Formats: sequence, structure tokens, C-alpha cells
Amino acid sequence: MLIAMLMCYAGFTALCLATDRHHGELLRSKPSPARRLGLRVAGGLLLTLAIGPAVWVSGWAQGLVEWCAVLMLSALLLVLLLPYRPRLALILAGVGLLASPVAAFAIL
Amino acid sequence: MREGFRQAMAWLHTWAGLIFGWLLFAIFLTGTLAYFKEEISHWMQPEVQTHPVDDVRSLNVAQQYLQANAPTAARWFINLPDAREPGLSVMWQDKVDPGQRGNFMRKTLDPVSGLAVQARESMGGEFFYRFHFQLQMPYPWGRWLSTLAAMVMFVALITGIITHKKIFKDFFTFRPRKGQRSWLDGHNAVGVLVLPFHLMITYSSLVIFMSMVMPAPILAAYGNDTQAFFSDVFPATDNAPALGQPGRLLPLASMYQQARAQWAGGHVERVAVNNPSDVNASVNVFRAGSDSVVHDFGSTVSFSGTTGELLRVSGEPSLPAVVGGSFYGLHMGRFAGPVLRWLYFICGLAGTAMIGTGLVIWLGKRQLKHAKAHVMPFELRLVEVLNIASMSGLLIAIAAFFWANRLLPVSFAERSGWEVQTFFIAWGLSLLHASVRRGRRGWVEQLSVAALLFMAIPVINALTTSHHLGVALASGDWAMAGFDLTCLACGVFFAWAARKMQRRGVPAPKAERARPLTLKREAH
Repeated sequence: MLIAMLMCYAGFTALCLATDRHHGELLRSKPSPARRLGLRVAGGLLLTLAIGPAVWVSGWAQGLVEWCAVLMLSALLLVLLLPYRPRLALILAGVGLLASPVAAFAIL
Repeated sequence: MREGFRQAMAWLHTWAGLIFGWLLFAIFLTGTLAYFKEEISHWMQPEVQTHPVDDVRSLNVAQQYLQANAPTAARWFINLPDAREPGLSVMWQDKVDPGQRGNFMRKTLDPVSGLAVQARESMGGEFFYRFHFQLQMPYPWGRWLSTLAAMVMFVALITGIITHKKIFKDFFTFRPRKGQRSWLDGHNAVGVLVLPFHLMITYSSLVIFMSMVMPAPILAAYGNDTQAFFSDVFPATDNAPALGQPGRLLPLASMYQQARAQWAGGHVERVAVNNPSDVNASVNVFRAGSDSVVHDFGSTVSFSGTTGELLRVSGEPSLPAVVGGSFYGLHMGRFAGPVLRWLYFICGLAGTAMIGTGLVIWLGKRQLKHAKAHVMPFELRLVEVLNIASMSGLLIAIAAFFWANRLLPVSFAERSGWEVQTFFIAWGLSLLHASVRRGRRGWVEQLSVAALLFMAIPVINALTTSHHLGVALASGDWAMAGFDLTCLACGVFFAWAARKMQRRGVPAPKAERARPLTLKREAH
């Protein structure tokens, strides 16, 4: 479940950065159209691909439930962190992305 | 036309949410607590000791105990302990003439020593579980009312989605410290981000209730209501009748092993023995509900008690049973391990928060109009009192329930009933308090009391039992330690909330005044 959580959190952060408002708040610049598209695709992919490890570890029934749970709560975590600790929110996403190969290795 | 439709939906959302909001808040919060029903029960009955789970040993202990204490009973029921429920519970029904029902006896045994545990009388977490759909009302009414509340909740969710104009644009938006704006942001955030859970929990409750209000056999509906439970779930016709000749019951452990082999290692929750002393004894082994997401109501393996012959294996459930069972399973979350259980719990809290913020917004928006006048119209004052009592008052009531569990003497008559009484007395007092104190002060005082009560729970646990935090942590009793720590964390959170409320008590800055116009356009 950890790796699915990390991927979902990073995915939502990417989707969040793909909006003008949040990109401006977090990185103090407007995203170029290419960058916006890239972030959106990356975010969507991360969210979808997170199904993989969840189902791999726990089977379809429980895996999908776990995926839904981490999907919802990673978004909630991100939204609650953004106004209070924006830097931490970004750092977490980065750390999550870096740590997810390690977590993936652990379940193989 | 489109705007007209949206306005109509907004109206429905506003009023359906208000009228049922207070009740739904209580249902959601107690239902959320019910995810930790077994852990709460464990804390409330600390006399039941935790041992490493060993089903074969537990079964042997139970069989010996029943053989010694109830050899002539009509039926035995053995509920095996698991990681969450440490006690081995046995129940038996006296033999009586045909056409009559024998009395039920229930004992909790220590799965190692085999002695009956003298645990304090308490409903434990079962109280929250029962309350969240029976509302402490006589039989059909509580269920009807909570079904109605679930339907209104569903309506409120759907109309809420329609009313919310910018789901995707505002998906990641939460702007704190901006008064009404922040409440609305928070309401939208917990509503939208956790929407799949809200829809699942509300819709599945309707699916569950559909058969509950039409009294059909559903396992969760019973628990304490043993009579209905047994006649429905263990139809007597299914098993061979007693022949009247004495027989010797084989060890149940071997049947347990065979049943598990049938389920490819699945777990056993309950073993029932019919006519244990008869030559025609039969044994039904029931599979644990925690084994799969899809709840299977009748997964059993039956044996002859004297020959050990396998009589019947229940077939695969039908498709409607799988659909119904999956809603049931998802709602109850019994399959969830510790991590997923906590995630369920957080989702439930998010739902509670959504309802709470909605109630606050309703009042806040209308209060702005009367900000200058010192007297509030009666209806707004009524909503305010009910808001305070239904939210912070409920927190106090829950804390009082736990306090009563520790402070009422163990030998007190009707002890378990008095715990429940304390809950409602505390709730009633908080309603009284809310009606005599002015709004913000009422909030601050009640939240402070709740904070103190919750923070003190680990302390009274340490003073009244030998299971304080240090002992629980050292012995790895995570349910006990987790309960104390969660109470402490809740207390700290309520203290923070009370402080925050008090600070906002100073007159609102001008900027906040200018906002209502834009706010109204968006929220309404």
C-alpha cells in the first residue's frame, strides 16, 4: 500500500502543478502549455499505474479498495498541506517519487 | 433553465442537509468509531487478556468447558478469538420441550486457562455500532429513521455535486484563515476528495437497510438479539434432529482443520454444535467475515459430530448475493488490516467533518446578516444551540461514556446500562449548557471540556487499571495503547480547536465583511 500511496501523492502533486493557480503559488511562475500537458499526463499516469502494485500485493478485490483509499487520502493530505506547508508538500512528492522504486523493490 | 435547476438543487442541499445534519453527524461519528469496535471493547473490558491466537487450543478449551458445564444443551456456539478480539466466547442453549425455546447462556473464556473471565459488564464498542443504525430507539423506529437519514444523505451528496460549480478547478483549493470562505473550502475539499467513500458508505447503507427494514436474515442485524439470529442463521431443519440416544462428540479440532482445507486456508470464525450429546450431533463450521472483501453470509462446512463425516459444503453464492455481499463487506470493512482500517477511520472522520462544516456554513451565512444586531432571531439561535450540542456535545458524551467505564464500580448493578445512561446524560447536559451560553462561548467551553475529558482518559486508565500506556506498549498490546494515544491526540486537537475558536472571538476584520457577496454567489 505504501508504494501506491507514494505514487498517488506524487500524481496528485503533478496534477496540482498543472493548474495555473497552484503552479504560480508553488513555483512562482506560469507553466508553459507543454509543461502543463506533461504534468497532467504524468499525474494521470501515476494515479492509474498505482493500481498495479496495490493489486499485485493484495489481489483484485482488496487491492482496488486499497487503491481507492490511498487515492482519496493522498489528495486530502496534499490539499491540507498546501496552504500550511507548501514546500513540504512538494518535497514529500519528490521524496515519494525517489522512494517508490525502493518500495517497489521491497514487494517484488 | 440550467441555473434554475442548479438553484433548486442548492435549495434542496441546504435544507436537507440542515434538517438531517445533526442526526447524520452523530451517525457518521459513531459509525466511524465502530470501525474500531473490537479495539474499543478490548479497552472497555481490560480483564479479558490477550494471548497469541491458537485456534486449535481455543477450540479444545471451549469443548472441554462446554462438555463440563453444558453437556445436555441443545446447541453450543463457539466464537474463536482473533487478533482483534482476545476473548473466547461460548454460548449454549438449554434443551427444552419441542416448540419452546431454551434460554441462552453466554460466557467469555480465557483461551489458555479455560476459566470463565470475570469481565466488567460493558457494551464496549458494540454501543457505537448499535447506535449508528438503531439510534437507541425501540426496534423498527431507529432503523427506519437511520434509513431515512441515509436517503437524505444520498440526496444531499448528489445535490451537493450538482451545486458545486467548479469541482475540478477548485479541486486542490483550501484557503484557511479566511472565515466563511475557509469553511466552504473545507466543506468542498473533504466532500469532493473523499467523495467515493461518501457515495459508497451511503449507498451501501441503503443496500444493507433494504433487507434490514424488511426483516430478512442479515448477520449484522442481530448480535444481542440472539433469538432471531439463531432461528434465521441456523435453521433447525437443516441439521438432523436428535435421536435421543447418547453419543460421543469427536474433537472439534479435526473438523476445524478439514473446514480450513476446504477453504484453501481460510479462517474460521464460529463453530456451532447441535445436540452435542446425541448420536446425531452435527457440527457447523462458519468462515470468518474478515477473509474477503465480498461478505459471504453463509459460508459453512457441516460435519456429523459422532462420525466426523463431512456432510455438506455450502456452494458458491449467487450473483445477487455477491453484489449485496460486496456492498455489505465494503461498508463494514471487516476485511481491512490495521493500515486500511485506519484509512477507513480517516475517511469516516472526513465524512463527519463534511457534515459538521456544512452545518457551520448554514448558520454562518445567515448570521452575517444579523452581525450588527445583538439579538439573533429565534430560528438561528435554535440552529446554533443544536449545532453546538450535536457536535461538541457528542464529543463530551463519548468521553463521558469512556469515563463511566472506568469509574463505575465493577460490581455496580446494571453497570453496562449506566454507561449508556451516562452517555445520554452528558449529551443532555451539553444541550442545556448550549442553550444558556452565547454561541462562541458555548463552543469554546464545550470543546475545552471535551479536550480535558479526552486528555485525561489515559490518566484515569492508569489510575484505575493495571493496563496503563507503559504496560500496554511494553507488552505490545497495541489496541490498548492505541486507544489511549488516540484519546490523547483527540484531546489535543479539541484543545487546539477551542483555542482557535476563542481567538476568532475578537471582532472579525473588515475584509471578511466584504466577502459574503461573492460567497453567496458561489455557494448558493
